[in-house]
Amino acid sequence: MRRRRILGPKLVLAALIALSPCLAAPSPAAEPSGDIVLMAYPGAFQDNYVKAVVEPFMKAHPGVKVTYNPGGNSAQMLGLLRAQKANPQVDVAIIDFSVSRVGNKEGIFSKLDRKDVPNLADIYDEARMPGDMGPGITFDNLVMLYGPDQVKPAPTGIKDLLDPKNKGKIGFSPAPNVIGIALQIVVAKAIGVGYKAPIDPVIAELKKIAQNVQTWQATPDNYTMIINGALALGIGWNARAQFYADKSGGKVKSIVMQEGGILDMDTINLVAGSRNPAAALAFIDYALGPEPQKRMAEAMYYGPTNKKAVLPPELMARTSSAPATLAKMIPVDWDYVASVQDQWTERWRREVIPAQ
Amino acid sequence: MKRAVAAAGPLAPAALLTAIAFVLPLAWLLRLSLDRSSGGGMLVDAVTAANYLRFLGDGFYLGVLWRSTWMAALASALTLLLSYPLALFLARTRSRWRGFLAVLTIAPLLVSSVVRTFGWMVILGDQGWVNGLLRLVSLTAAPLRLMNNMLGVLIGLTEVMMPVMTLALIAGFARLDPTLEEAARSLGAPPRKVLLRVTLPLSMPGVLLGSLVTFVLSISSFVTPKLLGGGRVAVLATSIYEEALETLNWPFAAAISVVLVAVFGVALMLYERAMRRWMI
Amino acid sequence: MAGAAPPAMAADAPYLKLAGLAKRYDGGQAAVAGLDLAVARGEFVTLLGPSGCGKTTTLRMIAGLVEPSAGRIEVAGIDVTKVPAHRRNMGVVFQSYALFPHLSVARNVAFGLEMRDLPRGSIERRVTEALALVRLAELAERKPKALSGGQQQRVALARALVIEPSVLLLDEPLSNLDAKLREELRDEIRDIQRRLGITAIFVTHDQMEALTMSDRIVLMNAGRIEQVGSPAELYERPASPFVAGFIGRMNRLTAAVTASGGGRSRLDASGLSLMASRELPLGVRVTVMVRPHRIRLSARGGGAGEGNAVRARVRKLVFAGEAVQLEIDAAGLVLRVEQPTGGGGWVPGIGEEVAATWSLDDTLVFAER
Ligand SMILES: Nc1ncnc2c1ncn2[C@@H]1O[C@H](COP(=O)(O)OP(=O)(O)OP(=O)(O)O)[C@@H](O)[C@H]1O
Ligand SMILES: [Mg+2]
Repeated sequence: MRRRRILGPKLVLAALIALSPCLAAPSPAAEPSGDIVLMAYPGAFQDNYVKAVVEPFMKAHPGVKVTYNPGGNSAQMLGLLRAQKANPQVDVAIIDFSVSRVGNKEGIFSKLDRKDVPNLADIYDEARMPGDMGPGITFDNLVMLYGPDQVKPAPTGIKDLLDPKNKGKIGFSPAPNVIGIALQIVVAKAIGVGYKAPIDPVIAELKKIAQNVQTWQATPDNYTMIINGALALGIGWNARAQFYADKSGGKVKSIVMQEGGILDMDTINLVAGSRNPAAALAFIDYALGPEPQKRMAEAMYYGPTNKKAVLPPELMARTSSAPATLAKMIPVDWDYVASVQDQWTERWRREVIPAQ
Repeated sequence: MKRAVAAAGPLAPAALLTAIAFVLPLAWLLRLSLDRSSGGGMLVDAVTAANYLRFLGDGFYLGVLWRSTWMAALASALTLLLSYPLALFLARTRSRWRGFLAVLTIAPLLVSSVVRTFGWMVILGDQGWVNGLLRLVSLTAAPLRLMNNMLGVLIGLTEVMMPVMTLALIAGFARLDPTLEEAARSLGAPPRKVLLRVTLPLSMPGVLLGSLVTFVLSISSFVTPKLLGGGRVAVLATSIYEEALETLNWPFAAAISVVLVAVFGVALMLYERAMRRWMI
Repeated sequence: MAGAAPPAMAADAPYLKLAGLAKRYDGGQAAVAGLDLAVARGEFVTLLGPSGCGKTTTLRMIAGLVEPSAGRIEVAGIDVTKVPAHRRNMGVVFQSYALFPHLSVARNVAFGLEMRDLPRGSIERRVTEALALVRLAELAERKPKALSGGQQQRVALARALVIEPSVLLLDEPLSNLDAKLREELRDEIRDIQRRLGITAIFVTHDQMEALTMSDRIVLMNAGRIEQVGSPAELYERPASPFVAGFIGRMNRLTAAVTASGGGRSRLDASGLSLMASRELPLGVRVTVMVRPHRIRLSARGGGAGEGNAVRARVRKLVFAGEAVQLEIDAAGLVLRVEQPTGGGGWVPGIGEEVAATWSLDDTLVFAER
């Protein structure tokens, strides 16, 4: 009897600690269990994401086994999900927001309830998707890449793309790639018209830029081509630029253009018809939490979308989530862009890309 | 009738395999090409010729079709021109290096065309070997644009296709009786005339086969136009890639694929006809 | 070239001359080892010999298709050794016909004329003539594949002849044809060659072809000439046991000279006593040869004149239509004998004792080397 009384409080405490994630949840239905499949990018993203998010999640939820299925790029993943629509084999998908928007409309993904995903409450507004669909888990933003040895002084914005001394030294992906679309929005701002205005003057400006372009298909990518001196200027994404800047010892650098940047993000989505929604939602909530997001920022410079993620200031400054950077982002009506994207792309194909 | 069915019996597994590997995907592609895509890549079930009408009614896409066709034809012609003497030499030489040379010729087949294309980028780039050499002898002030355009694609395709063409030609030469060339010589034909009047006509089956294969491989090749074209060389294969994986317009991608299959069909028909003319 | 008239020369000067002609294929033994031969204009000369003796190689050197390792080739007094094949104006008929499968019969025949840039009309006329010559006028538009073997060979002949070659070279042109066709074409080729008065070198390993067609036969062995002469010379006066054995059937015995004198020698062939019609050194070992059909059989032997006679027993007897072929045993030596059928000779039965006789002229004797 005495023993029991002494041990009792300790047992209760231990149980409380073990159950704390459940207790903290508003609707602690039950500890999730079973298997789920996460589909996301292959390569470095996979390596880092498994370490920073998947493995810690499984430690916290020993009953759940997460299988990481590298599905290729966003469009390829959407294709796989479309093909499985009647009988989904994937529970959670991480893809680019421009593609997940399509999935949302096609009913491939389910809407999320704040009751199931408490961390949604702490998400930046920029990371929210219309209709409470899968939100952003990582921020990234459009930057200008440059080789500091070749471009002196450092570039500042669109005017450097037009500068004849950079002729034949520029490389970036044209529309329909998001980079081309995003650049068009920045160029519209640079010449003082909105991106929703008639685009003829923007296209005319893009054609001038096109005359300086060496390749629209940098291989393996323009970060690497700037590092090895084959290109001097490019347009790319911040996280990768930071990663390559470290890796190359500063042979490629990046700036947010003075006209502004475009925010990009990867979203985390619950696949409609998931066979284990409880575990899937638990994973999504975990992934949106401050700690895993911080770890991804540390590993790959992806900006956290959770306001509560606390990064060391130097690191924060290098991600898209830095307040100074977020402030420079041009607000974009992506529904509008989606509606005109095909027209823009046709203009690029016919007029911009062939411009000599 | 019955006998035909009975004879088809042993062919059943092959027919099944063909159905699974070829007919089914093609049928699926045809079906998909009749669907519609709303803006932003949403797939809408439909039965409409809109995708075909868009392709055929748009100068840009007709231009893509035309460019793809002449690019593949020119690449085949260049490949033929370069491979013919090589294949003739390999088929005729008595050198003890022959085996080694033959292996050397087809060795590129063992290397993925992506890697070979990368190799060309090292050679043809602004900082590449050719431009380096030209700079060294101060022949050019600005680097010569040897890639990121159609020229680069043609150079790359020609190299990528040469082993295939050479193999087809060697197979053709193997069936050519060398005494026919001796007969021509004895009848007063100088070497050039022997080549034009005897060797070439008699190697036509190999030439045609090699040309068909390189044409089909060239017009459907994606890696080389993509990597050496610098995004400027829009052909059917790169358009399919873009529509399928970037604009997410699968029905239109499917329609372009069907057009590509139709081009194969035409190429095959021309081949059959030419073969009938040259088969002896 | 075709139209150029050969330079004037003495009537008996050789038209085609091979001097020390030799060929050694790289690494190998000599395929042809120093050939000397002079062929007169309009002559039909046959290269005869066993397989691999260098006949084809010789022919191809004359055609310019194989480069000689040594020696010289002259045509009408002009050295053509270094002249490439297409400027030699040789008409070659290949064993495999070598017709161009993609061209019609007429175009095959026209090929050589087109190479000579003759006017269209003259080409047409000469093609028609050439096809008429080989009796194929009505097949002019066919492809070679649609012809029989004999027809193909005649096209090949027409194609070689139409260019009016300096020399017509034929490499076993009949060996792919059946026996009856072969005989027909044999006569036809010879007939055409005579009519056109063209110089011809004909390669064969068939002695019947050689004997029936040739003005002269060049008998080759292992890259060398064994004997050159008319068919009768080679048949009746072979220069070596090889020649004797190669042309026609032969009995071959080895013997030693036991006595010599008075233009005669006595030989001992394993106990059989024979006579030879010349004086040979005593003790020398010789090869004695006699053709089976030159041996006469009779019941008792004897008979007029000098010659050889042995007693033997009939071991075997085969009826072969024109002749009966026998094997007789003469004191342990087996001789083959042929007796004409139809009353031309006496035919004994098996096991019968007979006398076999043959003349001294038919007893060929070669001292062993
Ligand atoms: N191209 C060659 N390379 C090497 N050796 C050869 C070649 N052609 C022929 N020989 C050799 O040269 C020798 C003579 O060959 P050739 O063809 O002249 O003989 P042939 O008398 O025509 O024989 P056949 O009656 O069988 O046709 C043979 O030993 C043959 O193996
Ligand atoms: Mg031969």
